[in-house]
Amino acid sequence: MPERVAIVGVGYSDVRSTTPGLSYKEMMYEAAVRAYADAGVNPRKDVDSFICVSEDFWEGTSIFDEYVPDQLGGALRPVHTVTGDGIHALACAAMLIRTGRARIVVVEGHSKHSDIRTPHHIHNFAFDPIYHRPLGAHPYHLAGLEMNRFLHVSGNTREQCALVVRKNLTNALLNPRAVYGAEVSLEDVLGAPPAFTPLGELDIARPADGGFVMVVAAESVVDDLAGEPVWITGYGWCTGASAVDSRQWGEAVYARLAAEQAYRMAGITNPFQDLDFAEIDDSFSYKELEHLEALRLCRPGEAGTLLEEGVTLPSGEFPVNVSGGSLGVGHLLEATGLHRVYEVVLQLRGQAGPIQLAEVERGLAQSWRNLPTTTGCVIILERS
Amino acid sequence: MREKLTNPEDVRTWPGTIPVEYVYTAGVAGEAYLRAIKERGCLAASTCPDCNIDYLPPRLYCERCFAKTDEPRDVAARGVVETFTVAHRDLDGRPLEPPVIYAFVRIAGTAGGLIHRLGDVEPGDVHIGLEVEAVFRPPAERVGSILDIEHFKPVG
Ligand SMILES: [Zn+2]
Repeated sequence: MPERVAIVGVGYSDVRSTTPGLSYKEMMYEAAVRAYADAGVNPRKDVDSFICVSEDFWEGTSIFDEYVPDQLGGALRPVHTVTGDGIHALACAAMLIRTGRARIVVVEGHSKHSDIRTPHHIHNFAFDPIYHRPLGAHPYHLAGLEMNRFLHVSGNTREQCALVVRKNLTNALLNPRAVYGAEVSLEDVLGAPPAFTPLGELDIARPADGGFVMVVAAESVVDDLAGEPVWITGYGWCTGASAVDSRQWGEAVYARLAAEQAYRMAGITNPFQDLDFAEIDDSFSYKELEHLEALRLCRPGEAGTLLEEGVTLPSGEFPVNVSGGSLGVGHLLEATGLHRVYEVVLQLRGQAGPIQLAEVERGLAQSWRNLPTTTGCVIILERS
Repeated sequence: MREKLTNPEDVRTWPGTIPVEYVYTAGVAGEAYLRAIKERGCLAASTCPDCNIDYLPPRLYCERCFAKTDEPRDVAARGVVETFTVAHRDLDGRPLEPPVIYAFVRIAGTAGGLIHRLGDVEPGDVHIGLEVEAVFRPPAERVGSILDIEHFKPVG
């Protein structure tokens, strides 16, 4: 019987719109020191393996995985990089522990977006080089295409997407980790300059810098550590077709299938009833609604109504992105999923301060690897 | 280098660029597609004999069942706007004036399609379900690229 696995330590390097004073290594060090203090571990003695998430082009360094061990206390120890979202790495850590190969694993992800001078060109480089990239379009045109089809198919409305923006920017006002909290009205969002219609300027999550480190441990050692455990009870991930002609426009199939894996593992049959809250991808406003439906937290076409009825507000029956999400906190590249998990961990521990929810036992975090991908991850976290 | 800098901010960063150049191999199926565009002013699709699905752009294999597909065949470059967007920013984030309409066009008689520009139409007249056809560059100017198609325009 494989052991149960918990997150026993979390730490972050302050989320900021720009971080001119710290190198990425120093940001990682800052987050790691906090996470190790939280867990009560010495990385040079106690940690069996380290897993990072990064993407060479965002870092500006080829074979970037060579540059990660020292600032985590992982030099000359087992280290590997996953070119994926932070939740991919958490799943790897959990599996590494469940095989018996490791008892304590460290997971790291960061964004130093402010160092990138040509982010849209790098992003454009992710598009198919023969069939798509020659058009030379801004990468977010794909979000405009997705949003238009999603609204058409699902019946959700442009106004409901604007409500997502208002909710998440308002939520972010109370979150000390959030960069982009603001009071915005529906009219502000709808009246913002059009970007890639129906997507407007305010419907797009803005980038931020920040780093997250988590210590993951086997049940057999949890009691010896200082950190309050939050249990990883389910995870799943999935990648669809890279080709735009093969993907199902208007539905986040990758999120639905990743959630099915995670729900099965965690024994969840009715996600809305079995879970208490969620931090899900909202890197574009419509994505929160599309992902809500894909995660089966409501029926297809009903995500906008759920929002209008206040169900997903912090005061509602099923709060979604009480942290402010990527719209309110800032988008953190590969670390985005770890940020969501961080928020869920704080909520379950009762350490979320001004944004603490009452009586939460079980939460979900979900990530999407952003345009042009069809990759999603889901993780289920529990208090006991 | 440092000695020459007078602004203390300047020692905080070091600028860098990565020169990146590739040639991307189109492959058997990709070449069939690009040749159809360049030489015959049409598109190409390949069919999975087991799933009876027509891939466009053509593939050598079926991603659903993993069988090898049939030889690519020519397909007329017309179809239906499955979704569209009006882009107001260029790749550098600068305002696009006039804005550019992009659409995913589902090509008639296939399960496939492509993203391309729409032209000869005002943004306000575009809708999901609009029937469109490709406008090709003159044969002598084609190089074997999706840019041999200038844009798609409404049929008729
Ligand atoms: Zn097949």
